[in-house]
Amino acid sequence: AEFAMSIMEYSGGAVLAMTGRNCVAIASDTRLGSQAQTQSTDFEKCFRITDKLYVGLAGLATDVLTLSAQLDFKHRMYRLRENRDMTPKTFSAMLSNALYAKRFGPYFCEPVVAGLNADGSPFVTCMDLIGAPVDTDDFCVSGTCTENMYALCESLYRPDMEPDDLFETISQCLLSAVDRDALSGWGGVVHVITAEGVTTRRLKGR
Amino acid sequence: MAQLPMWTSEGPALVKTMEVESESVSNAAMQAPRWSPYDFNGGTTIAIAGEDFCVVAGDTRLSTGYSILSRNVSKLLKLSDQTVLASAGCLADITQLHQRLQAHMQFYRQRHGGIMGTTSMAQLLSNTLYGRRFFPCYAFNVLGGLDAEGKGAVYSYDAIGSFERVPYSASGSGQSLMIPLLDNLVQFKTRTDPKPVLAATDVVSLVKDAFITAGERDIYTGDQIEIAVITSEGVAVEVFALKAD
Repeated sequence: AEFAMSIMEYSGGAVLAMTGRNCVAIASDTRLGSQAQTQSTDFEKCFRITDKLYVGLAGLATDVLTLSAQLDFKHRMYRLRENRDMTPKTFSAMLSNALYAKRFGPYFCEPVVAGLNADGSPFVTCMDLIGAPVDTDDFCVSGTCTENMYALCESLYRPDMEPDDLFETISQCLLSAVDRDALSGWGGVVHVITAEGVTTRRLKGR
Repeated sequence: MAQLPMWTSEGPALVKTMEVESESVSNAAMQAPRWSPYDFNGGTTIAIAGEDFCVVAGDTRLSTGYSILSRNVSKLLKLSDQTVLASAGCLADITQLHQRLQAHMQFYRQRHGGIMGTTSMAQLLSNTLYGRRFFPCYAFNVLGGLDAEGKGAVYSYDAIGSFERVPYSASGSGQSLMIPLLDNLVQFKTRTDPKPVLAATDVVSLVKDAFITAGERDIYTGDQIEIAVITSEGVAVEVFALKAD
């Protein structure tokens, strides 16, 4: 059956990032849909920019793919010119600018950036579809079930979690939130970023 | 078909406009603001069933639009020593619904010489709501109490009376914030560690945490909460303060 829906809810999806002690985790569900019809159950929404910087994109799938390719390209060009990786702060500014450049015909995507600064401290930020950034020191969420994710994060989050603890917490938040959203779910993927590297784990959903 | 003078890069031009013909209603009427008989007065209610107890809670903030009308209006209705109803939505409809249910309680007591049980009240509430199927009561209810065997019972409703007995429920503006949290902490749905049996004091702490969380992210939830704990000894009500922002 057809029913009218906002364009931001067409593909479905959820992205969540959380800070820990000298580590950060970013997670997304793996569903891709056309309104009520599920098209794929392994559509990841977190993209690697560097081993210390990931971006999660929730929203219309075509814009998720286009924007992630564009960001990857822009970062590679930066690396060629500057001979160094972008810092998370710079990447966020670049992403914000890329979104605002399309102010009157935007990408239907609300990104979440998660990374580690040069000194090892965690960095998360999220943006609306036209690039208005919000820097937080605890967690950022985006997607079709933000209310669900907000409640779980507010309750389960504690500052300065170790990587294993952070993984457990972010997984519980994501799974419980998407279980009450018809448009998100079908499993999840979590990337935990520490100074040593990135650990990627898949979650089994319902 | 009107012709509008317009400017293009090649000079002035006359552009023909199309009249959109609609059989039923004209576009103007569809877009014009209409008076609505409903107002959303905000707030969140929650009920959790235990082994031999039930906890029903609701915040006490009354809002309209972006304004707060009162910080101290109760959403809870004590129907008997065994049953408490919590409703969120439009206060006008809620008040009327509560008064009708109380009147029914009295009739029942007079006719049958006994208090109406929770399961009967659950059915009555459903029938009362369905009675207004074509001009619904804008009330989102959760009914909590003890069933005939003394076990905790929670029933959750939609606006036209569809109801179901559930282990826990939440309704109102903070519903989508509360329910996933309860899935995780009460049902242990996504957890692999063993689910503990919660005592009344544990559930009350959980309810306070849930409301603090909802109060953070929902503008309509806050000020204070009333928590009613229903046991075989009766109904005990506790008031807990939340942020007033």
